[in-house]
Amino acid sequence: MWPFAAVFMFVFIIPVLYAIYISFFQNRMVGGNRFVGFANYARLFQDPLFWSSVGRVALFTVVQVPIMLGLAALMALALDSMKLHGMKFFRISSFLPYAVPAVVSTLIWAFMYGTKYGLVGSLNSWLGTHINVLSPDVLLAAIGNINTWEYTGYNMLIFYSALSTIPHSLYEAASIDGASEWQIVKSIKLPELKGSLAITVIFSIIGSFQLFNEPSIMQNMVPGNVITSYYTPNMYAYSLSFSGGQSNYAAALAIVMAIITMAIAYAVQLRSMKEQMK
Amino acid sequence: MTTATKNSEDVMHSPREVRKIEREHERKVARDERAERKRARKSGFANVANPRKSTLLTIVCSIFAIYCLFPFLYLIINATKTQADFTSTFGLGFGKTFALWDNIKTVFTYQDGIFGRWFLNTIFYVVIGAGGATLLAIMGGYALAKFRFPGRKAIFAIIIGAISVPGIALAVPQFLLFAKLGITNTPWAMIIPSLVSPFGLYLMWIFSEQAVPTELLEAARVDGAGEMRTFFTVSLPLLAPGIVTCALFTIVATWNNYFLPLIMLKDADWYPLTIGLNQWKDQASTAGGQAIQNLVITGSLITIIPLVVAFLLLQKYWQSGLAAGAVKE
Amino acid sequence: MAAHRFTRVLASAVALATLVSMAACGNSNSGSKGDADKAELVFWGWDSGNSMKQLIADFEKDNPGITVKFNSTGTASNTQTALTNAIAAGKGAPDVVMLEDPTVTQFAVTNDLVDLSAYGADKEADKFASGPWSKLQYNNKPYAMPIDSGPEMLFYNKAVFDKAGVDGEKIKTWDDYYEAAKKVRKTGAYMTNNSGSAMEYQPFTAQAWQAGAHPWKVDGEKITIDMTNDEGMKKYIDFQQKLIDEDLVNTQISNWSDEWNRSLNDGSLASLVIGGWMPINLMNGAPDQKGNWRVTQLPQWNEGDEVSAEDGGSALAITSQSKNQAAAYKFIQYMTLGNGAKTMSETGTFPALKSILNSDSFTDPNTESNKKTNEFFGGQNVNKILAEAAKRPVNEFQYLPYNAFAQTEFGDDISPAYGKKKTLKEAFTEYGKKLTEHGTQQGYDVTNNG
Repeated sequence: MWPFAAVFMFVFIIPVLYAIYISFFQNRMVGGNRFVGFANYARLFQDPLFWSSVGRVALFTVVQVPIMLGLAALMALALDSMKLHGMKFFRISSFLPYAVPAVVSTLIWAFMYGTKYGLVGSLNSWLGTHINVLSPDVLLAAIGNINTWEYTGYNMLIFYSALSTIPHSLYEAASIDGASEWQIVKSIKLPELKGSLAITVIFSIIGSFQLFNEPSIMQNMVPGNVITSYYTPNMYAYSLSFSGGQSNYAAALAIVMAIITMAIAYAVQLRSMKEQMK
Repeated sequence: MTTATKNSEDVMHSPREVRKIEREHERKVARDERAERKRARKSGFANVANPRKSTLLTIVCSIFAIYCLFPFLYLIINATKTQADFTSTFGLGFGKTFALWDNIKTVFTYQDGIFGRWFLNTIFYVVIGAGGATLLAIMGGYALAKFRFPGRKAIFAIIIGAISVPGIALAVPQFLLFAKLGITNTPWAMIIPSLVSPFGLYLMWIFSEQAVPTELLEAARVDGAGEMRTFFTVSLPLLAPGIVTCALFTIVATWNNYFLPLIMLKDADWYPLTIGLNQWKDQASTAGGQAIQNLVITGSLITIIPLVVAFLLLQKYWQSGLAAGAVKE
Repeated sequence: MAAHRFTRVLASAVALATLVSMAACGNSNSGSKGDADKAELVFWGWDSGNSMKQLIADFEKDNPGITVKFNSTGTASNTQTALTNAIAAGKGAPDVVMLEDPTVTQFAVTNDLVDLSAYGADKEADKFASGPWSKLQYNNKPYAMPIDSGPEMLFYNKAVFDKAGVDGEKIKTWDDYYEAAKKVRKTGAYMTNNSGSAMEYQPFTAQAWQAGAHPWKVDGEKITIDMTNDEGMKKYIDFQQKLIDEDLVNTQISNWSDEWNRSLNDGSLASLVIGGWMPINLMNGAPDQKGNWRVTQLPQWNEGDEVSAEDGGSALAITSQSKNQAAAYKFIQYMTLGNGAKTMSETGTFPALKSILNSDSFTDPNTESNKKTNEFFGGQNVNKILAEAAKRPVNEFQYLPYNAFAQTEFGDDISPAYGKKKTLKEAFTEYGKKLTEHGTQQGYDVTNNG
């Protein structure tokens, strides 16, 4: 345990403490570094760009996470029902996207989204429609689709593994009692998923609040600068530190985001996770 | 969320008795059960009550499988194109020339074969970084699960807290710290942060708790075995599926890591594949640069092959490993 | 005061972090001249012509005591990020760094680059084209030396122009350009693209600069911002607004995107106004249009003028952290003034050095690389036309000391105008406001005149 703790201190705790420390300063091109107390935090709470980015990832979380986990659960139930032909094929094929680096998967999807040369473009010319998944109104959904593609299989496996631990004698007993297939799903399988739901929800929420790779790689591929430099909180922090010369403000942003994320994760699921830990 | 929980509890009410009886029964037949599970794992879980296969369900699931596999098809098709075909032909159709072998050859010879070097680097980072991360997670998770000490809950909160901090924000302080120690632009800058996998720790914690019965450890201690020996002779074999699962996750995380090396490494000789590929991609958008998207696509394909193979080969293990990690209310 | 005590406690608790931050503060000017003949140099840059290995090998042969370790940083923005990080860390910066011209001032202001006049660079001014050279000065001192340049040119697809009944050679002014754009649009193609993204920041500065605009003026710590009342800016904004309103420019495609390359390749984008380094990119990105592309001089705001504008271009600088500054300068001399410059011009880099621009070999249509380029451009002597542009005078222009911010913010603020959500004037007003706010936060004395 101590080796883990030591490295953990080194790569997590110290940088976090350091980020907290520098968030109380401001480094200016003229006038240098000075202590500003909570000024960065005060500015953050009045920064409309920051709150719009938080709103965006919150919306993303509320829509994408349930869809993804719902799909994952359905797929897991389908696999576990043993009613599929070629079960192994389905199991591995839905998990494969997880092995693709975000850089590569975003490139592929962004290309398919293209209205002129991509697949969407071809669809439009066949059907005579004018679908544009890269327009500002639906872009977030398009990004959500990429994330869903990347992580559904991963979540599905967690669910599926949970289901596969249910002793078969339980099914036997239930069917002797005359329970139908649906009753078995409802009263045995779904409750079993509860435990794994906690962990998937918590990691999904954290993941989508930290949305960065997909939109930032797509930034130059989406016309009209729809993906602004403050599209998500993480992107905002990135552009603040690396092109804005405002690492201190970015540090304050990161701390606040961490607190928001933790609070939400806690409110949603931490309780049930803690029960698991006993 | 809350409604779902409530519903399932309501339903739980009626079959609770069934369950109670079942539990007693379960204890008695626990041994048979385990044997049955082992057998079932080999032959797939046959649902005793209803073994019929459903074509309808298969079709529905096929749609999902197509969704999952479709982008791979795109990648494979485009890896067979020349640069000229890539910009001028339809994305899901083949190009005028079949250039897959040429592309593969060029990927490994372009810029004096630096792709091969990136490939070896990535493997090196995975072996040391992911290997180390797995080892640390095993030790940490095992200790948390099997030795009682105060503040375990606090540790859990700290770990969840640490994952919640945006990685982007950690990158700057991490960079400054590493620069101070003079290890930026060396493999250490890539390896040390990879050594920590909070999810791995969590997984091993839960897994150790369930897979290694405390009674077994006590028995070993009574027999006079030291903690180390107990760990290696008693616990380790029981932990194997969890270890494989944990290793797979850390391998994926290290193999796909993009942001960390982007900041830490400036020497192309130490790049992992993700950074190298991205640099090749960016070459097209540099004034005077040569567009080599065909190499980027082919390189991407080559990059994901080892992971796909690893997943396929280790299927059996990660499945049972995850099973334990996810269970129990 | 409570807050102060809090930090003190925190600071002592995190001793290590504090240590790091102390190193991160002070601008450690610990660099030194070092031995001019003996050094191990580290060099960051990007290698678009794939010629760096050869260049370095040649240099090391001529300078046996000096070795150069080249670290490819991929793109200009990655290099800039990396340098910013190394400066913040107080160590780890290279000896020599390649930067895009607009970012040089930014590092010069904070004293992180070496004033090259200490090595006599100021006396080399006349050897370079005025465009790239003038962009690298801060307080009238050179902080970097240009390795390439990018006089803006009009590149057009003759096949598309012919169909629309437009003669590209007759486009002399921006008014001509506008009339041509209308004709091209009738054929279904677009004259060009502009989405107002950060990728179009450099073309913006170049064209506004050509119009004589001064959207900002920098005088030491005093900055004056004037986005919409400045005469040159008015000209630029009105012209662009006209193109947007009449649907003459494709606002859905931004430069350097995949769609951009494909549109140039299939002829749906008829022309580009961009730097003179573009030929090699066109040859790679639009192979199907081989023989159709042409290049001609930049349209003028006033008939009869011959004003050029600089788009892109990169330069080499020495960091203040370097302990081998004298040897580093030797390397820079070789790359920008010596044989290195010649080698690079032969691999597709558009030179900034007058002696190369004027040399016969540069415009000789019979060399291997020129033959290939000229063939793509329907037999034009491309380098000759480009060299002519490089000799034209440029209007005086400066970059903001926080150029990186200005570039990112440009995309965020200006793109809504190209998306027709607001007028360009409104967008530029907003942009000026943001630049003022940021400058003030960075400690500058900023006045915003609208």
